[in-house]
Amino acid sequence: MKTTFGALSLLFMLGVLLVVANPNYGLQFGLGGEEWQKYRYTDQYYIDHGVEEVGGTNIVTDIVFDYRGYDTLGEATVLFTSIAGAIALLRKWREEE
Amino acid sequence: MNALPWLIITPLFGAFSMPILGLLGRKVREYWAVIISGFTFAIAARIFYSIWRSNEILLYTLGDVSPIGEGVKFPIRIIWEVDLFGALLALTVAFVSFLAIVYSLGYMKEDSGLDKYYTLVLVLELGMLGIVITGDIFNFYVFIEIMSIASYVLVAFRNDTWEGIEAGIKYMFVGSLASSFILLGIALLYGQYGTLTMAYLAVKIAENPTLVSRVALAFLIGGLLFKSGAVPVHMWLSDAHPAAPSSISAMLSGLVIKVGGVYAIARIIFGIFNPGLHEYLKVFGAPSIGVNTLGWAIIFFGCLTLIVGNAMAVIQTDMKRLFAFSSVGQIGYILLGIGIGVVAYGEKAGEIALTGAVYHIVNHAVIKALLFFVAGAVIHQVGTKNLNELSGLARRMPFTTLSFLIGAAAIIGLPPLNGFASKWLIYESSAMYNPILAVIAVIGTVFSLAAYTRVLFTFLGIESERVKTAREPGKTMLIPMLLLMLVIILMGLLPWQINEKVMLPVAKMLEQLKGEYIMALVKFVGGV
Repeated sequence: MKTTFGALSLLFMLGVLLVVANPNYGLQFGLGGEEWQKYRYTDQYYIDHGVEEVGGTNIVTDIVFDYRGYDTLGEATVLFTSIAGAIALLRKWREEE
Repeated sequence: MNALPWLIITPLFGAFSMPILGLLGRKVREYWAVIISGFTFAIAARIFYSIWRSNEILLYTLGDVSPIGEGVKFPIRIIWEVDLFGALLALTVAFVSFLAIVYSLGYMKEDSGLDKYYTLVLVLELGMLGIVITGDIFNFYVFIEIMSIASYVLVAFRNDTWEGIEAGIKYMFVGSLASSFILLGIALLYGQYGTLTMAYLAVKIAENPTLVSRVALAFLIGGLLFKSGAVPVHMWLSDAHPAAPSSISAMLSGLVIKVGGVYAIARIIFGIFNPGLHEYLKVFGAPSIGVNTLGWAIIFFGCLTLIVGNAMAVIQTDMKRLFAFSSVGQIGYILLGIGIGVVAYGEKAGEIALTGAVYHIVNHAVIKALLFFVAGAVIHQVGTKNLNELSGLARRMPFTTLSFLIGAAAIIGLPPLNGFASKWLIYESSAMYNPILAVIAVIGTVFSLAAYTRVLFTFLGIESERVKTAREPGKTMLIPMLLLMLVIILMGLLPWQINEKVMLPVAKMLEQLKGEYIMALVKFVGGV
């Protein structure tokens, strides 16, 4: 019963996502020309201004370390937390008293 | 000087320096954690006070003075956008985390691996503070992950107990699924609108509310309902909270499910899919998002949550499990308040409901922290959390019993304590909007009353063998409990003053009838 319901809702979600991924109703793929300007204006800004504003010629590193450097700090924290967590959980058990 | 960056810098520095300072020995490590979290609390209080006094949304751009790009009209950098709601949550988070850390000094004394423990607690606090101040939706996801990963580990921290590991695994699977829903929602929004800043996303969505934005909204709300422990998906919570160390349960129950769940739901609905904006669009026959459907969905889950959560609390024999189910129930009230705030947007009832929801978030954080501290003290001193073995604790542990009494009375909503005002606001608004909702809310409270009365009778009963040798815990465990009791009583003595001076402005700023959240960003553009 539960499994059937779960499978049905997964199927429903898949259907919705397929509709959303259909260019006639939802997201556009392979943008170019006017549509690029309409949907990817932020990216265009990074491409146009990245070199002069940040100084790196690699746009991705310009974004990841300058425009959105705070996210990278967050990702580093995620990594730090996972390592601290893995070490914490794999430590020896307490001695029996 | 702007204090806002220090709210992140301080716990981040504390967490990252802990592995090195931890080498200096146990005392240094503990003092460091207390100092860092105390300092964070002071910063949060200062930020809250300054925003409360100026009554303006604080917008901070990381890396520049203006979030807007050179020669264009859209934001290109990550921003922090702190309104009163965010600041109030930051204050609550910093306060409860500070007390939880002080409490851990005594409570976690017998455990090993404490350097990692304090690191992870500071990271948990950092993650929550990051969520409440951010104005960027991807950054919001990053901090949700920081918070979630730290809490998965802390739930399973006692790796030699079977229940800790089991609950940790369950929490991790469910939580990761929920996070991936949230990420999917964000990806859809970015694919459709090309921006990640929440306030600008609100503008873009209002210009062109497509099917994609609706699907993304559904994924975001669905993922966040997981995180807040709303009813069909609350099963991880009732396992995770009892299994975690009590200082962590206090933070999970008081903060994590609110910041990562209810706060985020409110922020996404009112910040990004602003009901006012879409009602306005509807008046002109423009395409808009049906916020009423959304509001009713939240009310539905809220009602379900408050009935099931409180009813399940009545039949528990494990004290911490009972408190965990009661937390589920209280989340129901908050969701109900937010839901009415959405459907009755711009009306009196909606504003009262939203005020009640905000008020209840703070109240429940304080009360549930106290109750889990009590449970921790009992487990630490007696060694069991089974209610059948705990009868007659009142004579051996009078202070703990008194704390429990106050916490229980406050959570049920007895008048001289703080739970009364917030629940009253929620009842009042639901009665104004739809009396059936008020009836459901009252039924939930009746269950809650039954559950807590049962525990109270256990505490006051005939002394059992088990508790004969019990004593009060040490000072580091009693002082946080005392402070929380004082806060509960003080907030209870001035309910309407607090409501008038703090909660009402908070709710107004969250509701943003004039789109203040968007305007705070748009004013940087100039001339638009």
